[in-house]
Amino acid sequence: MNATAIAGAEPAGFFAALAPGGKRVLFALAAIAVCVPFAFPVLWLVLTSLRPGSGVYYVHRGTEFTIDNYYEVLSQPIVLQALFNSFMISTLATVLSLGVTATSGYMLSRFRGPVPNAWFSLIYIFRCVPYVSWVLPLYFVTQRLGIFDTYWGLLLPHVAVHICFFSWIMKGFFDGIDPSMEYAAMIDGCSRWGAFWRVAMPAAIPGLTALAILCWLYTWNEFLFALILTSHETPILTVVMAQFVHELGMEWHLMSATAVLALGPALIVTLFGQKYVLRGLRV
Amino acid sequence: MLALIAPAVLALVLFQVVPILSGANTSFRDWSLHDPKRTWIGLANYDHVLRDSDFIGTVLPNTFGFMAASVACSLVLGLLLALMLHRRWPGRGLVQSIILLPLMVAPVIAAIMIRWMFNDQFGIVNVVLEGLGLAPVSWLTGRWTAFFVILLTDVWLWTPWFALILLAGLESLPREPFEAAQIDAAGAWRTFRYITLPMLRPVMVVCIVIRAIDAFRTFDIVWTITGGGPARGTELFSIYAYVESFQFLNLGRGSAAAVIGAIIIVIFALALYRILNRFVEVSR
Repeated sequence: MNATAIAGAEPAGFFAALAPGGKRVLFALAAIAVCVPFAFPVLWLVLTSLRPGSGVYYVHRGTEFTIDNYYEVLSQPIVLQALFNSFMISTLATVLSLGVTATSGYMLSRFRGPVPNAWFSLIYIFRCVPYVSWVLPLYFVTQRLGIFDTYWGLLLPHVAVHICFFSWIMKGFFDGIDPSMEYAAMIDGCSRWGAFWRVAMPAAIPGLTALAILCWLYTWNEFLFALILTSHETPILTVVMAQFVHELGMEWHLMSATAVLALGPALIVTLFGQKYVLRGLRV
Repeated sequence: MLALIAPAVLALVLFQVVPILSGANTSFRDWSLHDPKRTWIGLANYDHVLRDSDFIGTVLPNTFGFMAASVACSLVLGLLLALMLHRRWPGRGLVQSIILLPLMVAPVIAAIMIRWMFNDQFGIVNVVLEGLGLAPVSWLTGRWTAFFVILLTDVWLWTPWFALILLAGLESLPREPFEAAQIDAAGAWRTFRYITLPMLRPVMVVCIVIRAIDAFRTFDIVWTITGGGPARGTELFSIYAYVESFQFLNLGRGSAAAVIGAIIIVIFALALYRILNRFVEVSR
């Protein structure tokens, strides 16, 4: 049977009942029905950020638009500092997490026996433990170690969170790579470490890229850890932003402007890495 | 072999195991402000939490209800989106880029934004309702409407995640069974029901397990939208532990609630793990 016959048999169902072009209209309507709900809150955020403080409660009415909110937000040193800190923390956490979990995922994928089994069960269980069970004591632990409200005090807990899930995903990446190349390298005199570093790691780069993007986005957007583990010395963007909307003053326009600023880098990272993110989301 | 996991083990022990154990230690002590000695009181905190009618009657049903509703809604909507994006049509790339938006937005920004849109006086949702001639709803003062807003935020955040993973799953399915179904003139629904769905099941199970565990510990969106209110009506288990610890300043009781929640979710996760292992080879 040839391809045209198969294609010819297809429109026997629902779409055949539509008028010519009806299928296209239907898909356009469906596309709009999907895009509007997903884009609207972000669109609304951008619109709110462009309104002057006096008109912010009636975003849907009036036509005054201004970019003063952005000037006002960016003139506050704490916002600039928070942008810088968030960027540094996200980047460093990504590098550290990937470094630590690549070896751990490789070990889970290539070794057999009680130790890998125990490690796998451990990370599965610790992935399930709710954040509230350890974020509060973590506050005391970081204070005891003298790293509360510093880069390390936020970085290392972030890395600890990522270990469980990322080791699991990394294991998946390495499972997809044929180990016979590594065995060949080891027969030719490469050490196990050399086989990992020179053979397995280059092959895992597409997966690592995807995970790096997701890790960066996740750390950039994280709120609870930043709220509890930092204070005035190390302001973090999500926390600073949320502080614009509290019971004392609802400065929606300033909050929105900061939120749009926070969205910028995430947008750039996602758009450039869209291909890799889609791949990274494959479990 | 051990050197490969040494850094990971060190970080895990220092920043996860130690805090969890110290939290468990707290849960056996009287940590309220008038007792500076932190007296060891055994299981009294657990007893209190398990007898608390708020915890048993509101918080646990809320948590499990939220988990089930969130996973079910995002799964169904995500599956529909994935099926839609699986076809080749002109607007496909645009839709795919747009549904990436919720993945980029910090959950706390999304939550603040949705709270703003559902504001009872100035929110756009009520403006639209009034424009349609309907009565405005004060969304966040009723238990069920507040719950609906929280659920909506969660579904908004997570549907794209489901859609993209399921799409990746759909695209990796072999073509042959679908061609065979076409040759046999199977209709769209029967093809979906008897071919797509069973073949997609492993991916769906993995998604459901990961998402169910995450939904159980949801904190930030509920905290931002309602803070657990009205009158503790939308409190999930994470919020309960946080409120007991920091608003009622009884760290022992909050920790006991956190430990109870952790035990529940670990048992639940182990059960899920068995289900998972039946469909996919996770560990090996």
